[in-house]
Amino acid sequence: MSHTPLLEVEHVTMRFGGLFAVNDLSFTARPRQITAIIGPNGAGKTTLFNCITGFYKPQVGRITLHQDQGPVYLERLDDFDIAKKARVGRTFQNIRLFARMSVLENLIVAQHNTLMRASAFSLAGLLGLSRYSKAEKLGVDKARYWLDKVGLLHLADEDAGSLPYGSQRRLEIARAMCTDPLLLCLDEPAAGLNPRESLELNTLLTGIRDEHGIGLLLIEHDMSVVMGISDWVVVLDYGKKIAEGTPAAIRADEAVIRAYLGEPDEAEA
Amino acid sequence: MAAVNFPRALRDGVLGAVVAAALALPMMGFRLVDSSQALTLGFRFDWVLWAALVVGIGRFVLSLSRDALPGRLPVLALPNWGERFPKARLYVGWGLAGFAIALPFLPFADRSLVDKATLVLIYVMLGWGLNIVVGLAGLLDLGFVAFYAVGAYSYALLATKLDLSFWLCLPLAGLFAAGFGVALGFPVLRLRGDYLAIVTLGFGEIIRVILQNWQDFTNGPAGISAIPRPTLFGLTFTANAPAGKTTFADYFGLDFSGDHRVIFLYFVILALALFTNLFTLRIRRLPIGRAWEALREDEIACRSLGLNPTTIKLSAFATGAMFAGFAGSFFATRQGFISPESFTFIESAVILAIVVLGGMGSQIGVVLAALLLVGLPEWFRELQQYRMLAFGGAMVLIMLWKPSGLLSHRAPTIRLGKEKAA
Repeated sequence: MSHTPLLEVEHVTMRFGGLFAVNDLSFTARPRQITAIIGPNGAGKTTLFNCITGFYKPQVGRITLHQDQGPVYLERLDDFDIAKKARVGRTFQNIRLFARMSVLENLIVAQHNTLMRASAFSLAGLLGLSRYSKAEKLGVDKARYWLDKVGLLHLADEDAGSLPYGSQRRLEIARAMCTDPLLLCLDEPAAGLNPRESLELNTLLTGIRDEHGIGLLLIEHDMSVVMGISDWVVVLDYGKKIAEGTPAAIRADEAVIRAYLGEPDEAEA
Repeated sequence: MAAVNFPRALRDGVLGAVVAAALALPMMGFRLVDSSQALTLGFRFDWVLWAALVVGIGRFVLSLSRDALPGRLPVLALPNWGERFPKARLYVGWGLAGFAIALPFLPFADRSLVDKATLVLIYVMLGWGLNIVVGLAGLLDLGFVAFYAVGAYSYALLATKLDLSFWLCLPLAGLFAAGFGVALGFPVLRLRGDYLAIVTLGFGEIIRVILQNWQDFTNGPAGISAIPRPTLFGLTFTANAPAGKTTFADYFGLDFSGDHRVIFLYFVILALALFTNLFTLRIRRLPIGRAWEALREDEIACRSLGLNPTTIKLSAFATGAMFAGFAGSFFATRQGFISPESFTFIESAVILAIVVLGGMGSQIGVVLAALLLVGLPEWFRELQQYRMLAFGGAMVLIMLWKPSGLLSHRAPTIRLGKEKAA
């Protein structure tokens, strides 16, 4: 099983006018692994994420997600279908929570498609059938599980927008997990976290990988996160892949040091 | 305590007086006198003087007191009742509903009061309908009156041309309006905020212009008259029963009174409005209602969670439009006559003002705002030409006092609450 990749990116090119944000990029991500994508600012990391999650349509290339039922070609799906049918979850660099809804409601909205089916597109719910209330209870149970995981259970009824920054980041991860993804794409989850929160994030992410058996794709600048938990690292510069390998190999790679990491003792920081 | 800055207060006062005088001169200084032969121009410069004095002294005192009193004046700070007593909203809701049901039988209720209450309820219902679109789904709709017009004309045309009864036309009118909601929804799917507002504004005008110009179908600006009144299970509310019908008064052995119909219409709109409210309260707790609110908060996040924004937006437009359609057909049957005049932009603006003033998304807020916006001008009629002045003043005060609407606190639709420990 581990020989089949989970996500296969082949020759993807995304151009904005004359600018090649992502240029003929190919790599694979495996299930039950954390694949980190690193590179200097403007290297095309977030553009790549937007291509994978359907917010951009690449001009060239194929993005395949291998499910048990067969491959799904992501570049052909709408963004919401990528979350719904291909089961790719994501978080955002600038947090996008439903700020004026409660923490719990955020997680219930994430289970929209399941609950919508259970409520027969709201009809069963309008009539107050028990079928829907059972489904909602299951939804709350799942939300409670993830709130416990990210340590926000005691804040479940607060407005999501009123949480401190680090908690909002964790809530966004919990919300994405409530969609039952096969692949979770995290755009700079450690940005703005203090060292202790960063460490907690490492535990959370490795927990998701080991206990839920899904693949994680991670954009991150914080090298303590990248080197600490990644199984595979892909390095981008100017939209091109300049290296990939295990964290140890990347740390020693000449091209990566030149383009991004700098001198070795700086990379340790 | 800060030192009293006397010269500054004086300067503020004089400045205020000058501005007041400049404003009052054209507005209050002249008046038309209707003498027997012709209109002549009269002068009221004493009024201008009084206005300038009142504003000048007021401004002077205000400026002085600001120095004399420590900190900000606490005049406009009121506690947020909704947040302090979460249960209060429920009791107030039931209390208002109970009062509304009892209203026609209360000793002080006369025909004109019930009639005014009926008018307020029409706007409450429209406000609740628009609340789904604007308050929950966050789609700024400036053409809501279009759906109201569609509902009204649906009933008027079906009843006068095909002779269908009110109770059959009511759901049909709702369906037609919902259909128009979807028709409007499609072209505006990609728009948000100001752009959406402009397109919906245009849509509202298009509907009105069509009604005005499609002479053969809608009878143009002359409108449709003799729209049948609703019946209560076949009982009519007329003095003499038409052939084959019984009147309400005869059936219950009462003396005929015009009040019966007024009270009946009041209960019809009350039932429709309560239905709208229950529907909204219920749907807010269902996936589709939560999806509307999520869409208002962040559309991109919705997409990333697998929510299809197209269906969510269209369902919000259709649901809101449906309630406007119901209200429209009620309006047609109450008036007995409709013309495009009744569906101008100002109606959309009033309905939107009700939603915004009530506090976006708040159901009871809409009731209070409708009472203020529709009820107040009715009761201010005694003030004659100062009616709109009093109305405008009330609006300004409310917006100073509650800038985010009368009731802006939002309670979550689901709570972990006590289960937390489990």
